[in-house]
Amino acid sequence: MANLQDFNGYDPTWCPGCGNWGIGMSIKQALVQLGFDPSQVVVVFGIGCSGNMNDFLNAYSFHALHGRAITNAIGIKLANHRLPVIAVVGDGDCYGEGGNHLIHACRGNHDITVIVHDNGVYGLTTGQVAPTGQKGYKSKSTPQGIIERPINPLFLALTQGASFVAQAFAGDALKTIEIIKEAINHRGFSLVNILQPCVTFNKVNTYQYYLKNTYKLTSDYERSNYDLAIEKALERDREKFPIGVIYQKKDLTYTDNLSQLKEKTLVEKERFKDYDLLFKDFI
Amino acid sequence: MKISIKIGGEAGFGIMTTGLMLSKIASRLGYEVIDYVEYPSLVRGGYNAYLVTISDERNTALKTDVDFLVCLNQDNFLKQKHLLHKQSIVIYDKNDFDFEDDFIKVNLPFKKIIRELNGQAIMKNIIALGGLLAILGAKINILNQLIYEQFIKKGETVVSFNQSFAKRGYDEIKNNYSSLIQNYLSEKEEKEEKMVVSGNDAFSLATVVSDCRFYCAYPMTPSSSILATLASWQEKTGMIVRHAEDEISVINTALGASFAGVRSAVGTSGGGFALMTESISLAGITETPIVVFVAQRPGPATGMPTWTEQGDLLFACFAGHGEFPKIVLAPGDQEEMFELTLKAFNLADIYQLPVIILSDMYLSEGHKSINKKIIDDYIKNYKVTRGKFISQISNQNTKLKNFLRYKIDDDGISKRLMPGVPGFYYQANSYEHLENGHTTEDAKPRIDQVKKRGKKWQTYLNKDFQTPKFYGEKKGEVIFVSWGSNKGVVIEAQRQLLAKGVKTGFWHFNHLYPLNREKIKNLFLKRKKYVLVENNSWGQFGKLLAMEMGVEIENKILRYDGRPISAEYILENLKF
Repeated sequence: MANLQDFNGYDPTWCPGCGNWGIGMSIKQALVQLGFDPSQVVVVFGIGCSGNMNDFLNAYSFHALHGRAITNAIGIKLANHRLPVIAVVGDGDCYGEGGNHLIHACRGNHDITVIVHDNGVYGLTTGQVAPTGQKGYKSKSTPQGIIERPINPLFLALTQGASFVAQAFAGDALKTIEIIKEAINHRGFSLVNILQPCVTFNKVNTYQYYLKNTYKLTSDYERSNYDLAIEKALERDREKFPIGVIYQKKDLTYTDNLSQLKEKTLVEKERFKDYDLLFKDFI
Repeated sequence: MKISIKIGGEAGFGIMTTGLMLSKIASRLGYEVIDYVEYPSLVRGGYNAYLVTISDERNTALKTDVDFLVCLNQDNFLKQKHLLHKQSIVIYDKNDFDFEDDFIKVNLPFKKIIRELNGQAIMKNIIALGGLLAILGAKINILNQLIYEQFIKKGETVVSFNQSFAKRGYDEIKNNYSSLIQNYLSEKEEKEEKMVVSGNDAFSLATVVSDCRFYCAYPMTPSSSILATLASWQEKTGMIVRHAEDEISVINTALGASFAGVRSAVGTSGGGFALMTESISLAGITETPIVVFVAQRPGPATGMPTWTEQGDLLFACFAGHGEFPKIVLAPGDQEEMFELTLKAFNLADIYQLPVIILSDMYLSEGHKSINKKIIDDYIKNYKVTRGKFISQISNQNTKLKNFLRYKIDDDGISKRLMPGVPGFYYQANSYEHLENGHTTEDAKPRIDQVKKRGKKWQTYLNKDFQTPKFYGEKKGEVIFVSWGSNKGVVIEAQRQLLAKGVKTGFWHFNHLYPLNREKIKNLFLKRKKYVLVENNSWGQFGKLLAMEMGVEIENKILRYDGRPISAEYILENLKF
């Protein structure tokens, strides 16, 4: 059995008090509690403060380009669908630069877990507003306040067919660990949007802000109810943030639908050599 | 014997299928075939034209003047008549239109036959093919066989229905034009089994043979048929073929699959490739193998989607930000496409980098007959070589190890471990990194890794780079220099020049980038007359030679009207 130490890479360089600490620790704890060691999981990292976790978390990992982590994760899953595949990404990364990929990953129900650090800003490039930033948010790139409405990640994922949609708060590690474990265990596409204060750049969405505006879903919450999930997702528009698994349904994953993978993974399969089956089309 | 047949008419009426059937028939009867299709970027409307050149002996180029023109409408006749000569036979329906020009007229009453047999307008094609075979002296049974293969999935009734139209076309000529019938397509007694493949077909077949297990693409002319072909085979071959949301996803999904351990490829044209370039750079620094098929068409931007050009050579060579090694190959014909695609997958694995295969519409969509034995021999001699890829390794220690993914080695190539192997972990990193994959911004490891990646090029140039092939006479008055799909037309131009008593030589490049300066600079002699032949307006390969080799070629034959270069075009533009 692996322990937390096994997953510890280099010392994190995040700002003191940054929500990333809680998220990083929660991911490691979740992996340990699920019984994995670093050689049994693949993690794809986006670019940003969140993606910098690549050096702090030991695993087979791929540090992607900004916005593209989900697509690499899908490829890894297709090649070896027995490996758990996690994408650790930021809100600018996943909802801005790579928004298109998120939509299509939901549609495909690819069995990957996408953990999004939602702090409303681009921390690594010194605080420009992210697509999750609240309307009117003033930043270096939007000195007059952002004109666009914020994206609603939970609503977006739900409407595009995600089979597991959850929200966590970086300030509540125990709950975050529990949600991440459920997301990894879920067969199909899972999105975990983690609300995360950026102590350096975001003076609006602070720990206090989230303590005031988040609430935990109760144990009798009916997570299979799609209409209810949509209602919960829309609460963000009124600055209410439910914490927990908003929605979960059983569905065939993308690889479940591929007859090529019935017996073996793509990497394990025997090489195909019956070329004459193909040549006859050209004679 | 070398004859050209062109079938043309309104788009959406099965001209592509008919043309390919004619090519297959000629090939089955033992003849050499080359074909090419012209069509607009439309599903209906506009016109399609399919040119098939059939010959007795080995042939490398289309015969551009047309000996037999099948007109399914008047528009086609007007568009093609400048390609006709006095002995050209024009097959058309007199009830549809007529003409005064001095060509040999053959009236084939499509409309009447369709009416009598209760068919639809699309049956014109089959009637025409029947008529053509009659005039070319072939037997009808071979056409009946092809119709059977083509339509049996739809049932016996559909087969016999189509065959009845073919027979009417055939009989019409037999009965009314017996004096025009020539013995062009009588079945050869000695013949070898041949395949009729397009460049895209050759690439598709070779990806399967090379054990590529993942192909990802977004449809883009003229590469799209690969996606369709490989997808249609996937239940047999076990390959996963994914049509992703955009080209950025295409290449990144493939890089993910490759990182996880399977051979992966993507296919596109210039515009899609432009979207992929950031990730070409990602493949460069993470050292992830990938084969990228780029079928060029005239740009910029949307350009002329269904026509041909070699305008993306320099773009392909220099695609991606930052400095990292890649390999660019450009096959000369369908056979080389097969050979070099097999090689490309090995190179990508051995050197852990992107290998780009440059095709163009002319090579991608045009067909050529190849002796099946040649393909069989390539397969027999092919070895899947995965270089320093490791899928099994035992860690004797109980402690987990950080695998040194980017370990410095003399040849620049590090061992690559399949993710999931117990006892180890590492990261493939898009940031500059240490030997263990961790991010670094320190000067020394940066220099070490830049050198390491650069070293892969040197190893490749020493071990796997191939110098251009020479065709013709070393002492020729003119030495042609060209690359990629122009191979066949330059060889044909050489043949025609030789017939006029002009000896020529030809350096054909298919390993385009990087170039080995030492091996190449001695090929160019100061006192020789070199002529650069390219299907673009800049003479891009000439620029590459100048830049990499210091070789300047002043005489250029360039074409950039969207049409492929022909031997005739070369002769017209060659100045002594």
